[in-house]
Amino acid sequence: MLNYVLRRIGYGIFVVLGVLLLLFILFFAVTTPEDVARKALGERVPVAVIEQWKVNHGYDKPLLPGPGAWRDNMLVEHYRRMLTFDFGRSDADDVPISERIKSGIGPSLALTLPLFILSLVVALPLSLLVAFFRETYIDRTGVVLAVLAMSVSILLYIIGAQYIIGRVLHWFPISGFDADPRVILRFLALPILVGLCAGIGGDLRFYRTVFLEESNTDYVRTARAKGCGEARIMSRHVFRNSLIPLLTRVVLAIPFLFMGSLLLESFFGIPGLGAITVDAIQGNDFSVLRTMVYIGSLLFVGGQILTDLSYGLVDPRVRLE
Amino acid sequence: MKSLAKRFSKRALFLFVLLVLACTNNPYPDADSDKKILYRSYVEAPRTLDPAVAYTTNAHAITGEVYDTLLEYHYLKRPYELIPALAAALPEVMTLNDGWTSYRFEMRKGLLYQNDPCFELDGPGHLTREVVMEDVAFELMRLADPEVNSPIVEPMSNIQGFQDFSARLMARREADPAFSEQPLPLQYAEVGPIEGAKVEGRYTLTLRVSTEYPQILYWFAMPFTAPVPWEAVEYYDGDEGRPSFSDHPVGAGPYVLSEYDKQSRFVLEANPNWYGVLHPEWKAPAATYPSEGAPGDFEAGRLDPEMVGQPLPFIERIEFSREKESIPLFNKFLQGYYDAAGVIKESFDKVIHEGGLSDSMEESGISLEKSVQPSIFYIGFNMDDATVGSEGGERSRKLRQAMSLVVDTDEYTRLFSNGRGVSAQSPLPPGLFGYDPEYVNPYRLIDLERARELLAEAGYPDGIDPETGRPLELTFDTQDTSAQGRLRFEFFTRAWRQLGINVKIEATNYNQFQEKVRNGAYQLFMWGWIADYPDPENFLFLLSSEMSRSVSDGPNTANFQNPEYDELYLEMKGLPNGPRRQEVIGEMLGILEEERPWIELTHSEAYSLFHKWLKNVKTMGMSTPMTKYRDLDHGLRAQKREAWNRPVLWPIYVGSALVVALVIPGIFTFMRERQ
Repeated sequence: MLNYVLRRIGYGIFVVLGVLLLLFILFFAVTTPEDVARKALGERVPVAVIEQWKVNHGYDKPLLPGPGAWRDNMLVEHYRRMLTFDFGRSDADDVPISERIKSGIGPSLALTLPLFILSLVVALPLSLLVAFFRETYIDRTGVVLAVLAMSVSILLYIIGAQYIIGRVLHWFPISGFDADPRVILRFLALPILVGLCAGIGGDLRFYRTVFLEESNTDYVRTARAKGCGEARIMSRHVFRNSLIPLLTRVVLAIPFLFMGSLLLESFFGIPGLGAITVDAIQGNDFSVLRTMVYIGSLLFVGGQILTDLSYGLVDPRVRLE
Repeated sequence: MKSLAKRFSKRALFLFVLLVLACTNNPYPDADSDKKILYRSYVEAPRTLDPAVAYTTNAHAITGEVYDTLLEYHYLKRPYELIPALAAALPEVMTLNDGWTSYRFEMRKGLLYQNDPCFELDGPGHLTREVVMEDVAFELMRLADPEVNSPIVEPMSNIQGFQDFSARLMARREADPAFSEQPLPLQYAEVGPIEGAKVEGRYTLTLRVSTEYPQILYWFAMPFTAPVPWEAVEYYDGDEGRPSFSDHPVGAGPYVLSEYDKQSRFVLEANPNWYGVLHPEWKAPAATYPSEGAPGDFEAGRLDPEMVGQPLPFIERIEFSREKESIPLFNKFLQGYYDAAGVIKESFDKVIHEGGLSDSMEESGISLEKSVQPSIFYIGFNMDDATVGSEGGERSRKLRQAMSLVVDTDEYTRLFSNGRGVSAQSPLPPGLFGYDPEYVNPYRLIDLERARELLAEAGYPDGIDPETGRPLELTFDTQDTSAQGRLRFEFFTRAWRQLGINVKIEATNYNQFQEKVRNGAYQLFMWGWIADYPDPENFLFLLSSEMSRSVSDGPNTANFQNPEYDELYLEMKGLPNGPRRQEVIGEMLGILEEERPWIELTHSEAYSLFHKWLKNVKTMGMSTPMTKYRDLDHGLRAQKREAWNRPVLWPIYVGSALVVALVIPGIFTFMRERQ
């Protein structure tokens, strides 16, 4: 087990190092520090100011290792900074990136964590229900509604919900965020509802398929033959044995909760990491953007390892060697 | 099992109650409804709040409130008029014999900065200190400091010794790296002051400025030249958890930035140290509601006798919330959660009807304020180009005149800006000295026949280039690669196609476009200019030879060079507003009319919507925030919000009934299955 984990971490390190190399090529070789400086400071800035800006941001060194610069170059500096989590300052406004990440994690989790839990709480029982009533009108209605929900763009859910629930019915604010626990719920209700509606169709179809596949296996037939009740079969046998595919989907999603939601945060004015990423894309803030991509790759690798470990926990047949 | 179901249903009930309790669309704390808070929005946080650098409208919305200036514009009078703010009076002006003019400013005594921890640098327990003229001189030195990178170095170079100070500072820094490590005030003191900015005592500053640039005074009504305490620049260095100075303004203005979260919210609170609050008995012109205004102000309720002479500010707090999308912002305005908004294009037809407000908007008590921006948008010809430029002499002039005669600006404005904009006849927008509402540029009329004649006279009959025997080909260079941009440019190319001229659109990215401009490899382009200050000089300089892009990398991208125009420009620049200046401007516009380096398009027009509880609203045109003059009736606002936003709950009951209707047959099916 330990060997397996170490081996997976080793593979993960290679993946992350590769991602860092790609980021270096994209953000330093394709787009030069000169371009980045001009984007941040303006086109008609004196050369001396550009040079000073490059020094302040550590962009004044040779690009690649070479004579006299084997250690002090931008490639080595890029790896050193990222691997030691010293992300430096934003290209756009000089704010320390780590501070920005710290301030964004809270609002992101405030949105994604309840949304994630609520999606599971709603989608899993509903999927079990439609699987239980397979081939009945409940199953068919469920599947049609799920396909319908999947077919609609999340943007339509957002605009529709803001208009109908926020503007016409006056239930919740159309957008905004306040971390005060007394009022936070009114700001999160609408984005959570939208996230739930936009995601439930796909979840329901996936979980239903998994449960149906499992309910056609021999041991379920045997259980039925022995007179075991249908509800007990679904909850005790089918659900437990469906955990492997469920975990693949669910555990992998957990690390990404920290990254927030790009669209929901952006449209509902939630100052989380998703909104920060969108701002960095729109504002050519390359230092923030490459940090977010790097963190995304770390979370992905971490999620993969967690998923593998969870297989061993739920299925005694899986040996992590 | 039963107790589990009971517990679950209890929790579900609790959640439901919680959700119903949360059922309000008010995005603000209930306790704030009885406060005079102005609610505004922003899309992007400003890159910097350093007054020496910040040059955008969104930055000035903060720096203009936090940093008070020596002078400011009269809130109501038009044309714009300067009045003293931190200065005790307008400066004494004295023309010297050697090409310099002296401006002597006197500052009011007893002015204080806002309370801030940075003043601990003066001694333990210090929270504020007096504002003195040394602080204005310090800010002028910051403007000259190349490392600060101020965008207004060029106009400020008219101060004697400004450039020299900059050169001395840089030379000293390059010669001695240890010098650069010292605090800025020490560096500036060691290098010595700007020769033409002399401080006498604590409250007097005498500037020596080139006589050719009397417009310098306008810069003293902008945050660039506001007094800045050296302590703030020193203290807020971005280290040890302190923000950088560019994120933490410290000024002597009517408001203080008390909260600054770039991602979601800024808050400005009334500054208890502001002189208008501490000394209402001074009745200072910039701290008291004015008693005079422009025609129409009285009728619009802006000279309400109850308001006139009252000490400012009226509004105790300004809250800016981030709204990245325009639709939610507009909907929140309609719900009463923002006090003012622009007209978004998605709702334009619903809001505006035949140039005025629609009935539904008027019924809601919303008012519309239109204001023509001191701006100009134009199509420029590169006068260095062999085909369209001055090299071609009469032939090219007639080509430019012909092309000008077919661009229908009214149609352009109607199609692309919902009619918002005034067709431009010259570079000068309405509201500026020199603008003549009666003036009609004969080459800005639509006259296809005359255009064809001119084109034939230019040697391009029916647009055919005699050298190739094919339609004359020109290029229209732009950095706008969007679909909307493409449509705009096609509007122009279609107009020129009526003459038989084939204009190709060359849309490239920003850097490539800049490269083309640097190399002079362009023929036609579209550009705009928004005034820094309300003087015709700020528009007419755009076509002076010294500002030519190819000569000095200046903003004269058309590279128009005309000695007669230049001579008149220099004369106009130094003249006070009066008949002679009007006459000179008329002659300059005559040259532009004939030469046609530009096809003038529009002066943009802003439509602003306000709820009726917001009082004393008058838009400034330039990015000069004047919230201190505004007032609001928060009682009326609370009442309207309550009436407009009552939750509609019947869908919850219908939805619950539907769920029950769906579940009960399910239970029956389940029971049947079990049997």
